[in-house]
Amino acid sequence: MNFDHLHLLLNHVPIIGFFVGVGLFLASFTGTNDDLRRSALIIFAAVALLTIPTFVSGVGADRAIAREPGISEALVRRHEGAAMLGLWFVEATGAAALMALWRSRRAGGTPRATLAAVLLLAIIAAILMGRTGNTGGDIRHPQPGTAAGTAITEGTVGSIIHTFEPSPDRFTDLMVVNKWWWASMMVTHFVGLSLIIGVVGAINLRIMGFAKELPFGPLHRLLPLAMVGLGLNVLTGMLAFIGMPAYYAADIAFWFKLAALMLLGLNAAVFYLTGIFHRVERLGPGEDAALSAKIVAASSLVLWFTVIISGRYIQHFEDSLRF
Amino acid sequence: MAAPAFLNTLERSGLSTWIRESESAFAYYFVLVIHNIGLALLVGACGVLGARLLGFVPELPLAPLRRYFRFIWAGFWLNVVSGVFLLIAYPTKALTNPVFYIKLVLIAVGVVVLRRIERQMPHDAAARDASPAVERSLALWMLGLWLGVLTAGRALAYTATYILYGKGT
Repeated sequence: MNFDHLHLLLNHVPIIGFFVGVGLFLASFTGTNDDLRRSALIIFAAVALLTIPTFVSGVGADRAIAREPGISEALVRRHEGAAMLGLWFVEATGAAALMALWRSRRAGGTPRATLAAVLLLAIIAAILMGRTGNTGGDIRHPQPGTAAGTAITEGTVGSIIHTFEPSPDRFTDLMVVNKWWWASMMVTHFVGLSLIIGVVGAINLRIMGFAKELPFGPLHRLLPLAMVGLGLNVLTGMLAFIGMPAYYAADIAFWFKLAALMLLGLNAAVFYLTGIFHRVERLGPGEDAALSAKIVAASSLVLWFTVIISGRYIQHFEDSLRF
Repeated sequence: MAAPAFLNTLERSGLSTWIRESESAFAYYFVLVIHNIGLALLVGACGVLGARLLGFVPELPLAPLRRYFRFIWAGFWLNVVSGVFLLIAYPTKALTNPVFYIKLVLIAVGVVVLRRIERQMPHDAAARDASPAVERSLALWMLGLWLGVLTAGRALAYTATYILYGKGT
């Protein structure tokens, strides 16, 4: 599999996505432009999801180009460190954006503190994505002062950011040095899984017609619990990946799981953004959902179980990919 | 400590060897997948039920949540069966580990708590105001116990003294 190309394809998404998102978000504060603000928040959430395969494909790309002559190991490590710092701010922005979207439905709209948090995180994330893009570009197209074999010289901004960037190998070692740390990450991952499946399952089954006496609105108010589960699992999942990057990148079940997660993002977009949600939102006890809603609910359930099943099969498919 | 010889006999049996050593995707990891799905059904449904019982979404009627016990018990029995297969595959690993017995005790108490909650659940929406709600403490016990089962189950992978008969970690 050609991770080099996949990474080159995906790596523009977080950078352009965050630059455009921050622009729209800032513009939404001139007057009261709710649609613009909503668009920016949706972009942050979508980009946070797409940043996961972007980050992960980087490890595949790293191993693919490591064989090529003239590639500076130091430049690759610097890019990885930049990505490892930026990743968390992108994911935090996505989480804060989802929180802002959730609270915008209440009377009074999204609290100012939530919007301020999104703005701050998004600006930091955009800067760090710029830095990640620059350091990544230097790998293939070294600037004077970054050629292979020479010491890396940083500019003013670069040197400030660099002090916060982790050393990739040390970060990796930190995740796997203690088996109890690893074990507690896995326990957390399973707790997160249960929260997601419980709440998402209950909502989807209601749409499909199970336990119809439940009104949809109150049931859907449990969704933040599933979002807590998702947050826990993105956090523990990415930490586990950083702990054993080559192991996961060379595993077909892992990529299958990621693909299902991306399709779940698409599923959520179809559910919430095409008007299906607005029609099921008012479903009272005993009322039947439209067929389109049932199809979206059923595919969400199938995809979540695909995520669980392929996640559990990761160990079985160890070393199933060559690159 | 010498492990009982029947563990060795069980481990050498055809079924045990096949689950453990087969390269098939439908051997050991398939059993683990089933165990994981059972966990998701049981703990997931308990999570939603527990959230309601603890008062997260009081406007959600309680009586229809009775139907969630189908998923709870389906998950439970899936995991009894898949758990037995896992035990057949690695009897020494499990039975020489105290964590395994802690897990069994937590499951036993967890089942008792679940059955009590199921008895206290109202049968129809009309009974919602008349009958007293399910005790909150039971909901906390339910969540704590099944979280304990999950943690103990995960810990089995990291606390074993022996993997196979006569073969330490």
